[in-house]
Amino acid sequence: MIEKGRISALQMSLLIYANIVSSAILTVPGITYKYAGRDMWLSPIWGSLSGFFVVFIVYQLNKLYPMETLIQYIQHILGQIPGKIVGFFYLFFYLYAGGTALRQYGDFLVGAFFNRTPILIVIASLALASTFAVRAGLEVLARLSDMFVPLMILLWIMIVLLLIPELDVKNMFPIMENGIKPSIMGAVSPAAWYTIFFHISTLFPFLIDRKQGMKWSMFTVLAVLVTLLITNLATLLLFGGITGSFVFPFMSAARYISYADFFENLESVIMAIWIGGTFIKMGLYNYVLVLNTAQWLNLSDYKPLVLPFWMLLTLVGIWTAPNLPELAHSLSVTGPIISHTYFIVIPVILLLIAVLRNRMRQKAGKP
Amino acid sequence: MNKQKVENQEDPLSSDLNQNIHVLRSIYENCSDLVFRPFVIGGKTKAFLIYIEGLCNIEEMNASVLSPLMDESAAKYDTLNELLENKITVSKAKEVKTSTECINYLSIGSPLLLLENESIGFAFGLAKWEKRSVEEPTAETVIRGPREGFTESLGVNTSLLRRKIRSPKLKMNPMSIGRYTQTEVIVAFMDGIMDPTLFEEVTKRLKRIDIAGILESGYIEELIEDNPFSPFPQILSTERPDVAVSSLLEGRVVILVDGTPFALIAPTTLYSLLQSSEDYYQRFLIGTAIRWLRFVFVLISLLLPSLYVAVSTFHHEMVPTTLLLSMASSREQVPFPAVIEALVMEITFEALREAGIRLPKQVGAAVSIVGALVIGQAAVQAGIISAPMVMVVAITGIASFTLPRYTAGIALRMLRFPIMILAGTLGLLGVMLGLIFIVIHLCALRSFGVPYLSPMAPMKFRDMKDVLIRAPLWMLNTRPHLTGKFNKYRQAPHQKPDPSQGD
Repeated sequence: MIEKGRISALQMSLLIYANIVSSAILTVPGITYKYAGRDMWLSPIWGSLSGFFVVFIVYQLNKLYPMETLIQYIQHILGQIPGKIVGFFYLFFYLYAGGTALRQYGDFLVGAFFNRTPILIVIASLALASTFAVRAGLEVLARLSDMFVPLMILLWIMIVLLLIPELDVKNMFPIMENGIKPSIMGAVSPAAWYTIFFHISTLFPFLIDRKQGMKWSMFTVLAVLVTLLITNLATLLLFGGITGSFVFPFMSAARYISYADFFENLESVIMAIWIGGTFIKMGLYNYVLVLNTAQWLNLSDYKPLVLPFWMLLTLVGIWTAPNLPELAHSLSVTGPIISHTYFIVIPVILLLIAVLRNRMRQKAGKP
Repeated sequence: MNKQKVENQEDPLSSDLNQNIHVLRSIYENCSDLVFRPFVIGGKTKAFLIYIEGLCNIEEMNASVLSPLMDESAAKYDTLNELLENKITVSKAKEVKTSTECINYLSIGSPLLLLENESIGFAFGLAKWEKRSVEEPTAETVIRGPREGFTESLGVNTSLLRRKIRSPKLKMNPMSIGRYTQTEVIVAFMDGIMDPTLFEEVTKRLKRIDIAGILESGYIEELIEDNPFSPFPQILSTERPDVAVSSLLEGRVVILVDGTPFALIAPTTLYSLLQSSEDYYQRFLIGTAIRWLRFVFVLISLLLPSLYVAVSTFHHEMVPTTLLLSMASSREQVPFPAVIEALVMEITFEALREAGIRLPKQVGAAVSIVGALVIGQAAVQAGIISAPMVMVVAITGIASFTLPRYTAGIALRMLRFPIMILAGTLGLLGVMLGLIFIVIHLCALRSFGVPYLSPMAPMKFRDMKDVLIRAPLWMLNTRPHLTGKFNKYRQAPHQKPDPSQGD
């Protein structure tokens, strides 16, 4: 096996959690408010269904091929050549997703803090950091998440706690004024975030405690759900009807905090969460991309791929969209469709084929 | 090379005394400190007493070897063994049969007795040389705790360990390293507590060393550590026997080196570099608070100048308005950008620190007076440096000295400079990136198989009670897990004191 490191199920959870939450807490409140309005806090709940479903599908696939990642078992399920072709599309999508995540990070930082820094520097530097982490191996990546994610969670909790005095419960009433439909519409975009859980398909073969894997993954979906629910609720209760006018409502909420004329301007805390979280996120994306490419090419080591992919990711990050509105548009319109296709539809088809093949083989074996 | 030397000198002693003396004289050619003392035992047998001047106890040698043997009554004993049994009043006497053995014993200070018509000689354990007495360690002082420290002589150091751990489970494995110095090195460990593979790994790495000489344990540290390019110390060095003993009892290995008071402890983690022995000697709440103070000051010593540079150059909006105004007004006079100001001040501070260590004590006062002028009010009044920068540099300097281990503090101080440059170019993003790169490095670092950041990364919740806090002694029931198998429990459970206990 290319990767010799082993990680625990908890470390896998932290990696995935950081991957989703770091960007979701910033963008999800704004997007969900656009569709769901006052019911925006319900949307993460509906969206989480796709998270649970993805975990279930990936777990079933992993049960059939326990020691392999998707790129490897796809060739067993579909046959060598079709498997390679579909695998290539997956790799291309990983590259696109990684580049887009980088671009989002770059756009946010340049827009909110570093107005005069070229976006290339912002993107390339973080991609380089994640490259170093990936080069050091999966265990190091997992340890990095051990270091950063608890801090991120603590900072997030701090901001939510400090917001409490400003919250007004009346902002969330009436609940479901227009029925359940708006909140479900709002759930489409968060659901795309939940499908990122698909990356456990790459991590599952490297777990020390594989039996815990399913339990921890489900638990992580729940943790993401709670985090997004509270974030949405906090922004809604703080801003009420004007939530939609902010691009990054949670950051604006943090800016709102001021205690004793000293404890203020906490948006830098958000920036710290964002940079640290995106670093972990890019580390995982980069790792999944590099490892799966090495497996696709049947290489014995993935380290030679690390630097080339640094450049590719940076370039895709620049090319993925001409500007922020275009990026936001493509993320909210095509994003959910693409990620649901790759992370739910195709895996379900794969699972069905795999199960049918097994049945047929058993039948053929019986008489 | 070593092997060749051994082959040349592996020749046994002959029964001809003059031949033996000739061999020794030719080996120790041009060595004026070697003394050959010819004498006659009981008036009939010719003999030689050979020793190295200053390495053995002359009075004792005169009283228990020379004078009884030169006495008339010694004549009635014929063989060497009879003489030994009846005349020589030295408790430790070893037979030597080859000239290699002779050299080994001579070099550790044992006087050698060679007789006519005997192909064996005797080495007496009368070594004695000038050594420093056991004193309070100067680099690791405590308010409460034992005041004894290791010394330069290995025998004293092992006895300090043995006096604290009386159990025979304390094993000490000798080794000699260095082609010429043949420095004695002792690997001490607790049998049954330590993972045996750790001991194997340590001895394997020690045996790989083949250099001319070991002058300090730093030589060994540099040749057996995991990542030679890391700025962080991957092996703990200590002068305190109590620190060494507590590490032994946690299943670590202690390497004692002759000629230096610094013992090495492996494996070690970043967090053990942030702990002082005194944390355990005072009340646990205070120990915990002081640990957290150190965590805060580690971050300050690494990041404060960079944060100041980043915020005052790029992120004015993050500073409260009144503070921003006072910062701006004090910076008005200063001709340099903040990053240059910070670099100049920090480098000056480092120079002062270095000068303060190396200079003779009489000149030290002059340095501190001049230093106070350079990084102080005078620099501000001259309009070269702003007043907040002086404060930042001073706080950073103090912060880096709150770390109980000097080597860890110096690593953080060195890493401060690249982050300052990053802060001056990329602002807070640069600071975050610098921090991320340092954490990547720390996460990838291992010390003898133990991840450097454990138990925080990878998380071991059970071991965090001795890192995030200093849990009370009656809660520290389990040892930290290092590698492989380990002896989990170090004490009996339920020892929390309570008036109702023990009727």
